[in-house]
Amino acid sequence: MTPTMRLQSIGAVLVAVVVVAPGFAQSRSAARGLTGSWEAYPLRGEGFGSGVQPKVRVAAPAPISEPPLRQPHLDEWRALQARNAELVRKGLPPPSTGMACIPEGMPGMMQATFPMEILETPGQITVIEEAFNQVRRIYLGAPALAPEDAEPRFAGQSTGRWDGAVLVVTTVGVKDSVHFRNTPHSMKMRIIERLRLVNDEILENQVTVEDPEYLTTPWTWTWMYKRWPGYKIQEYVCEDNRYFEDPTLRYQRLRVQ
Amino acid sequence: MIAAASAVPVRAHHSFAVYEPTLQIKLSGVVTTLKWTNPHVYLEIDASDPKTGETRHWLLECASTSILNRAGWKFNMLKPGDKITVIVSPLRTGEPAALLKQLTLADGSKYSNGAAAGRVTIE
Repeated sequence: MTPTMRLQSIGAVLVAVVVVAPGFAQSRSAARGLTGSWEAYPLRGEGFGSGVQPKVRVAAPAPISEPPLRQPHLDEWRALQARNAELVRKGLPPPSTGMACIPEGMPGMMQATFPMEILETPGQITVIEEAFNQVRRIYLGAPALAPEDAEPRFAGQSTGRWDGAVLVVTTVGVKDSVHFRNTPHSMKMRIIERLRLVNDEILENQVTVEDPEYLTTPWTWTWMYKRWPGYKIQEYVCEDNRYFEDPTLRYQRLRVQ
Repeated sequence: MIAAASAVPVRAHHSFAVYEPTLQIKLSGVVTTLKWTNPHVYLEIDASDPKTGETRHWLLECASTSILNRAGWKFNMLKPGDKITVIVSPLRTGEPAALLKQLTLADGSKYSNGAAAGRVTIE
């Protein structure tokens, strides 16, 4: 082989690497069409989303059932729901974490109160919920954390893997102060989400909550999101909630002055 | 879409239950400040009381900045001194504060406060 031929061979290899590399990067990132902005579906009314129905109507998921709590937690939960509803009816809303600008955490942040953005990058899927600027990072292919090894966080700690066209995400380490729908949980709670595209516009999230200490059976429901092309997520720093807890009556009051 | 408004999960921040759920009143007045903050925007106006005619300073609760942006508002569209008309539900306590239902600017353009604030029931 002459020096010229050798250079040509090296050049061919380099070209091959350059040509192949984007394909390799593509397979590593394995983008599956989730990147972009999403809003809750069915649509939630003016100001909450685009107001634009999908081209193909999809049946709305069933309402979320009451949590299958163990006793005495179930009776306590039902009593709390009844008490809170009665207070709201009287115009005396009970204190809430939102009053102190505390974010929803998991799984509540995935109800997409406001639109959310999903970003697929190599080895990671990131979900940014506009409400409270909440962020969760789902590490793909990472070993699942044992609940006892996960530092408690509002969003917990999530790992994911693709099961065919379904993204399966497991979350542990949600702070035990985070009570989705007033539902208590232990640090053994595990949230499993199965996300799949129903069609180009609709993303389905089948949520299963398991907690051997608090739940008798897994608590399951489905959320859906509609793609909102071009929507730019807004900033939402909860800086000044004028509601405060009345020190004696323990209700939410508005600071008027 | 409007029908879905009753299902809006306002619990994310707080309930609007402190306001009279059925009473709506109309106020005409002058903007003093617009605080473009989250979780909610607050608009303050000086307006004459519909009953006494006396000028009172009102605090009007609006939705989040993001909801208002999506409903067509802009952070700089109201300035101190602007004349506006609003339809609101007042606090149950009688203090001069209210939940905004609809804003009308001097040029007649109307702005909603988003689905969670509920629909306007008066002219």
